[in-house]
Amino acid sequence: MTVSAFVKLDDVAKRWNGQLGVEGITLDIPEGSFTALLGPSGCGKSTTLRLLAGLEIPDEGKILIDGKDVTTSAASDRNLSMVFQSYALFPHLSVAENVVFGLKVRRVPKAERQQKLHRALEITGLLGFEGRKPGELSGGQRQRVALARAIVAGQRLCLMDEPLSNLDAKLRNAVRKDIKKLQRDLGITVVYVTHDQTEAMSMADTVVLMKDGHIQQIGAPEDLYSRPTNTFVAEFVGAPPMSLIASKALPGFGEDKTIGIRAENVQIAPKGEGRLRCTVIESEFLGSETLIGLGHADATGLCVLKPGLSMLSEGNELDITFADENLHVFDAAGQRLAG
Amino acid sequence: MKGLIKFLDSFGAILLAIIWIAPLLFAFWAATHSTSDAVNLNLFSAWTLENFRVAWSGAPWLKYFINTFLLVTVILIGQFILTTLAGFAFAQLQFPGKDFVFILVLMQLFILPEVLIVENYAMVSRLGLFDSTLGVGMPYMASAFGIFLMRQSFKGVPIELHEAARIEGCGLLGILWRVYVPLAKPTYLAYALVSVSTHWNNFLWPLIVTNSPETRPLTVGLSIFGAPENGVDISIISAATLMSVAPLLIAFLIFQRQFVQAFLRAGIK
Repeated sequence: MTVSAFVKLDDVAKRWNGQLGVEGITLDIPEGSFTALLGPSGCGKSTTLRLLAGLEIPDEGKILIDGKDVTTSAASDRNLSMVFQSYALFPHLSVAENVVFGLKVRRVPKAERQQKLHRALEITGLLGFEGRKPGELSGGQRQRVALARAIVAGQRLCLMDEPLSNLDAKLRNAVRKDIKKLQRDLGITVVYVTHDQTEAMSMADTVVLMKDGHIQQIGAPEDLYSRPTNTFVAEFVGAPPMSLIASKALPGFGEDKTIGIRAENVQIAPKGEGRLRCTVIESEFLGSETLIGLGHADATGLCVLKPGLSMLSEGNELDITFADENLHVFDAAGQRLAG
Repeated sequence: MKGLIKFLDSFGAILLAIIWIAPLLFAFWAATHSTSDAVNLNLFSAWTLENFRVAWSGAPWLKYFINTFLLVTVILIGQFILTTLAGFAFAQLQFPGKDFVFILVLMQLFILPEVLIVENYAMVSRLGLFDSTLGVGMPYMASAFGIFLMRQSFKGVPIELHEAARIEGCGLLGILWRVYVPLAKPTYLAYALVSVSTHWNNFLWPLIVTNSPETRPLTVGLSIFGAPENGVDISIISAATLMSVAPLLIAFLIFQRQFVQAFLRAGIK
């Protein structure tokens, strides 16, 4: 790597009373990038973020931000901002006071404070709300106050801990775009924690998928989707997730491997000509297409997409086929085999 | 049957209230009438403010008022500082022996201050604070009740706010001052009401530890004023009593709601 990473985690570990928190986290985050930490709850993604923020101190490993070793520095010395899941707005302060809280603590002169406040409120569309208390705002507005507080000081690194999980689905989509735009326009580095893979896939340049305190795969969203390194990634990423078939059901793949296939690569074959015979277990109408869930003794999560409204009755037998180049092959331990 | 129970409930409550308020009403009655009219409960006798005039000129009341006011202020400030810091330590900091020390503090709740009067007297004398406002207030500043109240109140502050303030660059005392203290405002108000009313009325300890009109608070001044050797005149003593409790009474009428809530809170938490 020619450009040294802006944020660097080197073999970081954190354990809770001997129990595993995170282990062996090594991560390079370039400046100006959008990195999503993705994983099921309890996978250690929030712990990783808190280690970065300085709210926890790692038991092992090193953390560097902008070339400076900050492994044991206080949160306030790391020059970063954070958006909390609950927004963590101070209920006794007005919107304006909440936003400039950090500037005031760091004794920024009043004129500069006012100017920065105005700009942050302008960007987040909160002008006119300066005097309101957080209790008088809607969920979406509170979320924007939290964003304004995160960008007001012009910190180059911004950490976000599931900032959208308290919003309703419609608002979530809108704010997702806003955050992405904000990050691009300001050129800041964002590390974003989420358990929602659509969020991670649609926003991030790099997705870090974690499970049980370990990183499973680091890569661009399309890498995770099209080249999952193991069966966990395959089953976590994508909607619907990849179906996994035990190799003994398919001739020519050996005995103990797992074969992965995505729904869009599965075709329905005429009776008797398919590679696998399944039974229909459910039909789900999605709008532009219908998702047919299929059952097979050696497969999990098998499904096929049919265009338009095309419900099949449960219990019907169906033959399916797929091309070899669309298959993902994993070994007995679930690791991806070359190809 | 139900109506009868309801009637008895209200009747009981009103009866209790009358018994409770009777001494105050009588004091008011006595203070505004001449002594003989007051004792004879002569309902049609003339009203007078003469007793107040006599009582006021009979003792350095203004000095007593200032002393009491200073005393409750000094105690309250001391309590606010100590209970805030101690409450914060017990609520949010980790240190070895924390639970043990907290139990020690709670045990203080079970000890009546009167039990320690001799020891406190010796301690205050050794500190050279005998017959001074600080000496009267000192033993009450590290209030266990206050520490407990603040701890409970601080524990209710969401941890995210603490963390957000940390990230925004606040030190520990900064977080305490900017986040915890403002959020605990209702608790401070409740505690202040309880503390002021307690120490305005405190009598035994100030009686022992003060020696001169320069430091004597109202309660002690009143007791000396009303002592038998000065001759008992029920009307004048009543007038003096009314004067001493007036500020507290007026404050109670103004802050009635907060007062009731203060005790409810303290009970619930």
